[in-house]
Amino acid sequence: MSMVSKILRVAALAIFMAWLIIPITWTISLSFKPYLEWRAAHFWPKDPTLLNYKILFYYEREITITTGGTALTKPMIPPLINTLIVVGVSTVIAVIIGFFTAYGASRYNSPGPFGLYFTLLTRMVPPATFVTPVLVYYRTIGFIDSHLGLILLYAAATVTYSIWILKGFIDQIPREWEEAAVLEGLSPLRAMVRVTLPLVKSALVVSGLFIFLMNYSEFLFALVLTTMKAVTLPVHLTTYVGAAGALYGAQAACGIIASIPPLIIGYVIQRHLITGLTFGMVRA
Amino acid sequence: MTEVSLRVENLKKTFGKTIAVDDITFEVRRGELFSLLGPSGCGKTTTLRCIAGLEKPDKGRVIIGGRDVTDLPPQKRNVGLVFQEYAVFPHMTVYENIAFGLRIKNLPKDEIHRRVLRMAELLNLEEHLNIRAGKLTLALMQRVALARSIVVEPEVLLLDEPLTLVDAKIKETMRRELRRYQKELGITILHVTHDQLEAMMISDRIGVMCQGKILQIGTPIEIYDKPNSIFVARFIGSPTMNLIEGRLEQWDGKLFLDLDSVRILLYGIPSEKLGGYIGRDVVLGIRPEDIEISTQPMEGSFSGKVSLIESSGNKLEVIVELDSVTLNVLSPLRMDLKVGQLVYLKMRPMKAHIFDKTTEKNIMLKEE
Repeated sequence: MSMVSKILRVAALAIFMAWLIIPITWTISLSFKPYLEWRAAHFWPKDPTLLNYKILFYYEREITITTGGTALTKPMIPPLINTLIVVGVSTVIAVIIGFFTAYGASRYNSPGPFGLYFTLLTRMVPPATFVTPVLVYYRTIGFIDSHLGLILLYAAATVTYSIWILKGFIDQIPREWEEAAVLEGLSPLRAMVRVTLPLVKSALVVSGLFIFLMNYSEFLFALVLTTMKAVTLPVHLTTYVGAAGALYGAQAACGIIASIPPLIIGYVIQRHLITGLTFGMVRA
Repeated sequence: MTEVSLRVENLKKTFGKTIAVDDITFEVRRGELFSLLGPSGCGKTTTLRCIAGLEKPDKGRVIIGGRDVTDLPPQKRNVGLVFQEYAVFPHMTVYENIAFGLRIKNLPKDEIHRRVLRMAELLNLEEHLNIRAGKLTLALMQRVALARSIVVEPEVLLLDEPLTLVDAKIKETMRRELRRYQKELGITILHVTHDQLEAMMISDRIGVMCQGKILQIGTPIEIYDKPNSIFVARFIGSPTMNLIEGRLEQWDGKLFLDLDSVRILLYGIPSEKLGGYIGRDVVLGIRPEDIEISTQPMEGSFSGKVSLIESSGNKLEVIVELDSVTLNVLSPLRMDLKVGQLVYLKMRPMKAHIFDKTTEKNIMLKEE
């Protein structure tokens, strides 16, 4: 009996793992395949090439992908930098505003008739609903194709997450700790910085990562609101199309490179992930 | 003349429609340990928070060390506060916890170091100094919290049920230690508790609170021997004081409590204080240890049946049934009693309290 359940458990895990890993390994394999193998079903490239990666760094050059097939490509470095700026700044803004909002909602009575639930409104409507109005407004105030425009939009759209994640953590921190600090002679603001902030550090990091990933892969608004200067990676990815059709190899290679920054971030903050994702245990 | 460290005047605090603290006034003298004692929800913690400045009173003044602090924020009041729980900062070491308040005051480093070490030595915390406070046992945490609050030398130290969550055995030791530190360091403490035994054991004076009001203030002995109301009488002392309703009668110059079936003779009660109460219904209060119990009839005794015997080794708690009432009797003797046995009871002279049935006040304490 236990043997059966053990086998079932392993099988379930294996299926789950495969479901996670196959798309990634397939992308890796695709990124090393030459044009002729892009649509082939075999896993290991028969004639491995680095051309797909080289394409990503060519500066506006017509390159020959295959006999008779050429493509005009743009380098991925500017979009990568755009993405890191836009997503990085918007994440920081969302987390900071989220922290203060969550703190206020947790420690004082939340304002207004809707309270904090009002902030969920932005997540209740399909994002596509907002595309046209935002486009019109941004055109009027000249925010199209600007870093600032995307930053503000991303921060506004994701601040809800940091509010709700952080509120859960702050609620768990007894007020007594801050009150004790105040009685020792700190102002309420400094008590928050000295006592509460260090205790929710992990939560800040985790909500930051969550928001970062969400914005990092955002496509719809980036597509509509950027044209040249502020193009982000997900949009840039779609430009690898040539006379020979979609450049699957280059897209795969671009995807692989794009997944490196989140990987590095995840590695650096892994210490916080455990406390953060288990939602608390701040009482140690 | 004794100096007053803390004075609370006509303090009132309401939350919506509930009156938490109802116009209370009391003083804590310098170097004194004063306990506010009352059941949970009686407003004692709210009083404490108003004194600390964590709540804003609706009315009244708080004077600390001769300075009116009613309108000052908590950080400017020079009070320390130890909570029931969550008293230490879990992400800091014990050393950092104790040094916290000193660092805020920007004292020189070596001065901080000296004072932290002295405090740690005093409270036996030296070996824990580098441990994260969140990893300590509750008892140690409370000790660290105490150290952190004492080290900054506040005018008054407020303790909000600091020992409630600690194990019974450790509680006993900590109670004694707390009393010792308080005397050695000459700290003024306002202590809040619902544990009457704790309050009786460590306090210089006690204020008994009920429903937002202070009913009685006095030394533990005063409160025990002369409770001014039924509430105080019942709240202080364990086992609880016996309270019997009956009619007060006078015969032959002797006072009786008439219970229809039994008449209880009351010794040594000055009848002039009871003038208006003869022939009226009153409540008699008598502590279990103030009833003599015997298997033989005594002069002026009345009889009852033993219904329960509880022995705690050094004393015997006997529950005796009279026709309409049950009496709790504490006997220091190891008597050989059986359930169902007939026993004779007698009140010790001068020990009975008589309360007005409607006002619930102790009649015998009426202006001496």
